[in-house]
Amino acid sequence: MPGKDFAAHKYVDGRGVFYLFPALCKGCGLCLEKCPVDTIGWTERTGFLGTSTPAPGFGDPCIACRLCEFVCPDCAIRIDKIAPDKTRVH
Amino acid sequence: MPRSWATENKPHRFCPGCGHPLALKALGEAVDDLDIQGRVIFGCDIGCSLLAWDFFNLDSVQTHHGRTIPVMVGMKRARPGLICVAYMGDGGGYAIGAQHLVSAALRHEQITVLLANNSIYAMTGGQMAPTTLPGQKTETTPFGRDPEKTGRPTRGPEMARLLGGEGVYAARGTVANVRQLKNYVKKALRHQMEGRGFSFVEALSTCPTNWRTGAAETWEWVEKKMPAEFPLGEFGGDAPDGRASRPESVLREGGGEG
Repeated sequence: MPGKDFAAHKYVDGRGVFYLFPALCKGCGLCLEKCPVDTIGWTERTGFLGTSTPAPGFGDPCIACRLCEFVCPDCAIRIDKIAPDKTRVH
Repeated sequence: MPRSWATENKPHRFCPGCGHPLALKALGEAVDDLDIQGRVIFGCDIGCSLLAWDFFNLDSVQTHHGRTIPVMVGMKRARPGLICVAYMGDGGGYAIGAQHLVSAALRHEQITVLLANNSIYAMTGGQMAPTTLPGQKTETTPFGRDPEKTGRPTRGPEMARLLGGEGVYAARGTVANVRQLKNYVKKALRHQMEGRGFSFVEALSTCPTNWRTGAAETWEWVEKKMPAEFPLGEFGGDAPDGRASRPESVLREGGGEG
């Protein structure tokens, strides 16, 4: 089945890379309310309906829990975890 | 995005913040995990759920007013190797199509029903549904639903389990916890694949458009108000001692239609 490619806004915050697909985001705001660290907020970049799109960086750093990805009804969010830096000595 | 979702027609037609695509995400991920995409038939009902007619890369059929269940029953009887999933809303499943749900549960039909309960008739503009919460304001109950006049909300999984007895797997999940809902859907699909009888999963869903709620109140509705009326969890399936309960044993014990 031929797939369709969607361009993403990419944001790096805390422990995650936050991809937002503006061609899918309807601006419902469910992700903002569900985020446990309140890092997601509205940006001036718009989605395909002309609504604001969400992005991280407005609260505590992202913990890459992927809750926003799970609750997005439009699959407009993808979270990639940033691998911990193993060379760092604690 | 689940592999079984069709990407060509995304973004889909549901409103912003709708719970239907979350329930369908749980179904899509369950289908992906079980690797059964080539064998599943997806039937959707009328109402908002019909907007899912081209949602999946699955063979799909759309029917009217709760008749998804008998259509799926017919397909399952004609081709028992298929895995038939009927998808509907609370209006189709509990009001105008309740007879089909009741009959399928009583007869232990080998299909899976996934029902999205958003406590309102959404597509027609927000009228009172069988699942409207007591006190909830809708277009037809502007002062809130009065249980004295209109009765209590319908509880579907409990009803299906009561009617069908042990051979029925019934569960209620919520779109606020897609992982749990996915597990319920997976169990329901396995229930069907192993020929153990009727399986029914209700998903508490959202309708910000007709509830007239913002994102924060929407979560409060679906996470706090709705589970208070509709308890989450599983209602049967496997027997308590871990043995798979089969419809034949129910019939033998006189617990079914027998």
